[in-house]
This record gives sequence, C-alpha cells and structure tokens, in this order.
Amino acid sequence: MASDTGPHKAISRRDLFFGAGVALGSAAIAASGTAAISNSVLAGKPTAIGTNVEPFFGPNQAGIRTAAQAHGVFAAYTLNDTATVDTVRGVMRVATIEASRLCAGEPGLSDTDPTIATVPARLTITFGFGHGLFDKLGLGSRKPEGFVQLPSFGIDELRPEFSGGDLLIQIGSDDPITLSHAHRHMTRVISSIGNPHYSQRGFARASGSVNPDETPRNLMGFKDGTENPRNDESFDEQVWAGVDSGWFAGGTQLVIRRIAMKLDPWDRLGPGDKEAAFGRQMVSGAPLTGENEFDEPDFGARNPSGLTVIPDFSHIRRAHTGDPTHRFLRRPFNYDDGFAEDGTANVGLIFAAYTTDIERRFLPVQKRLAEFDLLNVWTVPIGSSEFVIPPGVPAGGYIGQQLFDS
Amino acid sequence: MKTHRMGAVAIFVAALAVLTGCTNPVTNSEPTVTVTDAWVRAVPDLAEGDMTGVFMTIANSGTEDVYVTGGTDTTGLTETPLEAHEVVADASGEMVMQLAEGGILVPAGGSVQLMPGGFHIMYWNLTKPIAVGDTITLTLNLSDGTTIDVNAIAMTLDGGTEKYVPANGGMEH
Ligand code: HEM
Ligand SMILES: [Cu+2]
Repeated sequence: MASDTGPHKAISRRDLFFGAGVALGSAAIAASGTAAISNSVLAGKPTAIGTNVEPFFGPNQAGIRTAAQAHGVFAAYTLNDTATVDTVRGVMRVATIEASRLCAGEPGLSDTDPTIATVPARLTITFGFGHGLFDKLGLGSRKPEGFVQLPSFGIDELRPEFSGGDLLIQIGSDDPITLSHAHRHMTRVISSIGNPHYSQRGFARASGSVNPDETPRNLMGFKDGTENPRNDESFDEQVWAGVDSGWFAGGTQLVIRRIAMKLDPWDRLGPGDKEAAFGRQMVSGAPLTGENEFDEPDFGARNPSGLTVIPDFSHIRRAHTGDPTHRFLRRPFNYDDGFAEDGTANVGLIFAAYTTDIERRFLPVQKRLAEFDLLNVWTVPIGSSEFVIPPGVPAGGYIGQQLFDS
Repeated sequence: MKTHRMGAVAIFVAALAVLTGCTNPVTNSEPTVTVTDAWVRAVPDLAEGDMTGVFMTIANSGTEDVYVTGGTDTTGLTETPLEAHEVVADASGEMVMQLAEGGILVPAGGSVQLMPGGFHIMYWNLTKPIAVGDTITLTLNLSDGTTIDVNAIAMTLDGGTEKYVPANGGMEH
C-alpha cells in the first residue's frame, strides 16, 4: 500500500476538506486540479500585490509594455554546440508551458519548489534570441531587418561577462523570491540546450511605495523614462514590429547596456551641475525650459548670456536627434552590487531599450551619446547585448514558433 | 486494511450525501478519474539509460477509491508494460523505487500527484530516445477496469534516478 508520508503522499480528502479550509464539493476539487490545491494549501494568504497576474499569452510578449516590476533579471545563456533547430524548438515548447504556468501563479510541471511558485506578483518571463542563436542554428538569414551588433564605442569598457549571450530570459516580478525561483526553474528547463552566461539582477521601486503612474527614478536621483512611448500608437510605431515584418511581426529588438555610475564624484556635484548634465530638473523632471515633467523641451531657448538653456552637452539634448523615428522604449533596472574593489559604489543602470530596428532607430542615438554627452563623465558602459524578442503567441503556441515553424 | 478503509469512505460518502443533498451517487456514466499536468522525463540519449518515469496529477471525482495498476505505451517507445511505481526508503535509508503494490491510490473525491521522488509510471526498455518537448502517449489501467489516455510532454529532469529494487537485487532507474 502506498505510504502516507513524504512529499508525494496522496492528497487525502481530509487535507482537501479540512486542512485547507476550502469548502468545495468533490466534483469541484477534481476539476480544479493542482492549481487550486497548491494555491490554497501552499501559499497561505497572499496579499493583493502577491496575487497580481500579468497575462503571458498575447500578440506581444509580456514584460515590455508591462509597467516595470520592482525586481528584474536579465539571464543570458550560451547555446550548446549540439543544439539544433529541433532541440531548441522542443525546449521552447516546454519553456513556454513552464513560463506561462509560473506567471499564472502555478508551479511548473517539473517544479522542484512548488511552495514558492504561487505568488506571481506580476511575474513576467520574456524570451529573446541573440546573434549566436541565429548563427549557430544556421538561421542567420532570418534575423530581422536592423538587428545588428553594436559597434564598439570610445566610451565602452565592455566586460565579456556582461556582454553577448545566445538566449535571453528576462524575468520581472514585484516579489524577489518569486523572481529567484522563476530564474532557477527556467534555467533548469532550458539546461539541455543552454549554459548560464550571465545573470544581471536589477530593481526599481518596491511595489506600492509610490504611485505606479509616477516616472521611476534612477540612482542618480533623476526621473528616468519621461520621454517614452505610452499608448498603443506609439508602441506600434516605436516598439512592435509591424505586420509586414514576416515571422517577426509583433516582436521587438532589445539592447541591454550595463552602465556603471561613478556615484562618488557625482555626489560631489551641486544640483545645478547635475541638472545641466541631464538638461532636466531634479525634482519635477521638467526640462530646464519648462515647469512640468511633460513639458516639451525647448532646445532653442537661450539665456541672457546667449547660451542654450538646455546645454548642448546635456544628455537629453544629445539623445534628442530631432528625427521622430529615433525613438524607442527605455525600461531599465538599477543595480547595486555593493562596493567595487577600490571601495567606490558598484552601482549603475541595466539600460534596456526596445525598438523595432536597432540599426535605424537606436544606433543613431547611441552614436551621438558616445560622441558627446556630459553624462559620460559619470557613466561607463561595461556590458552590451542585443536580442530579438520574438512575437507573443496565443495559449497553446510556443515562443519562437513563428520563426521555427515557417 | 482495505475493508477498513472502504468502511470509512462509505461513512464519509453517506455524510457528504446528506450534506450536499446528493441523491445519485451510484451511476457512473461520466469518467470520474481525470489526468492533468502530465510530463515525462526526457531521455535524449538511450546510452544514458533506456528507462524513464511519467508524472501527473490524477483526480478522482467519484465516490470509490481507484488504483492505477499499470499501463501501456501507445507511442511506440516500448513493448514492455508500464508499471505503477513508488519511491520508498529502504532499510539503510536510501531511496529506492519499487512496484506500488496494489497500484497507486487515487482516493475518492481527492487526487494524487505523481512526481519525481514519489509515485510514477515506469517505462522500461525504451527503443527510441525521448527529446525535450516531445509528446508521448500512454494508457493507464485503473482498478475499476477502465483505462485513461494520457499525453505527456518531455522535460529535463536531473535526479529522479532512484535504484530499482525488485524482489531480488537492484538496478539503476
Ligand atoms: C546610466 C546611463 C543613463 C542614464 C542615467 C540616463 C538617464 C536619462 C534621464 C534622466 C533622461 C531624462 C528623462 C527621460 O526622458 O527619461 C534620459 C533621457 C533619454 N535617454 Fe538616457 N540615460 C542613460 C543612458 C542612455 C542611453 C545609453 C541611451 C541610448 C543610447 C539613452 C537615451 C535616452 C533618450 C532617447 C532620452 C530621451 C531624450 C529626449 O528627451 O528626447 N540614455 N536619460
Ligand atoms: Cu520507477
């Protein structure tokens, strides 16, 4: 007879009726399956923040238009030499199932820690394919238009351990335990095709600590994300590949730049110098020519001494090319890894830009900033990666399907 | 032991019938045993062993306990009948797997989870590898004489390699 002890014991009627305090009829229990059991028995009573769910399936992958969660990780993997289109397709099938379950607050099928899988807290899991994936699988000709590797810039001090990567799993959640578990589980799920390359953890404000509509601030103290797409029209224009993009329609291209901040010298600046570096006010986030955060910057306005009010060397002046196609979504996370070896702050930004076309829409901006941007005095790019984010899929589909099955 | 248990169930069911006003607990036209969340440990390379385990949640909405007694592969992966296995600690405390005597209990009105390190459906003598992402099909045999078809998707699993302990001697899972 089956033993009644151990983790794999049969869930008895007693557990169901009394242990969990759920008063359900027997038919309802059978129909509800493991999800209901695990949610009620394992998770205790999650708060509203814990139970918030972001839909996994849809025309675009989640985790991009999704308001930034409190915690994020960009995990990159190196594809095995033995990987083929068939093995990657198989793994993406399974990875899609597991990711969609976790995002719904259900343990993965092969989850080894179901007790920490039931508090989604707006969990999103987003997959990306790097240059290496296309090249190693012989799919180089299927790279979307404009998906180029960034050239190296004079400002760069790139470290290989924060650069490149063949397969990306971007995870966000308002709960760091959920994030950690999803990261570990997904790493196991794809382990037959990919080995860990990097894992960059970042954070934003804790959920609930500020109004969610507020533009987040970075560790330099400035609102970061003011000039960003905010409605369907601007997302369709700047972020999501259009219907004429073949398999890539509904996808996007991601640039991740790990940018160290030299906060120790930055801290010695007065507010006026800091505002000059960005071209915006610290408190309100307004351009130096305006009063409110969303006022249009007036790059032509001059002060009595004839200098532009928004300095020519400022970050927003340089990042604003004037070409309306040079726009993209910035959805960064901050990182804080304690002290560097020399005792200075080891902090910065995991800058993440989402664009329909890296070459035509992102690169011109990055080039201008690399040439000249006062902010470069206090910031150093130390990592760089590009990924194609394939389109989303309906329930029953798998991420990458449009590429691998056509 | 079995009669004792059935007695308890009968009393419970009677009580439930009173509570819910259920008047027709006997007829069994719809299947009462359902399988969800089925998956199988992928075996991409038979050189690493020609056996695997299938895991799932089995629920029983009926009023009688049911046992999963074994099964049949319908994928063309093995000729060997599938076995209902459990994992238990042997005398030395090592976890070993063995036939679940009498089958795997799916309690009336409850469910059982087959999972690594616990109950599983055992495949022996695989003749083909099972790649991650493949779907295999099998049929489970139930103690009430019915069968149930299962689709299981193949996933990576490290571990889950308890030693097999038949009546005589051992063998790797
Ligand atoms: C540590 C590095 C960086 C920091 C701290 C930073 C911070 C900021 C801040 C505070 C703003 C103004 C508010 C806003 O519109 O969001 C801004 C604007 C902007 N940044 Fe950055 N940024 C960094 C790197 C970059 C990089 C690498 C790029 C692109 C290559 C970039 C592109 C932009 C663009 C396009 C704008 C909007 C400009 C406009 O007003 O038209 N930033 N950034
Ligand atoms: Cu076994």
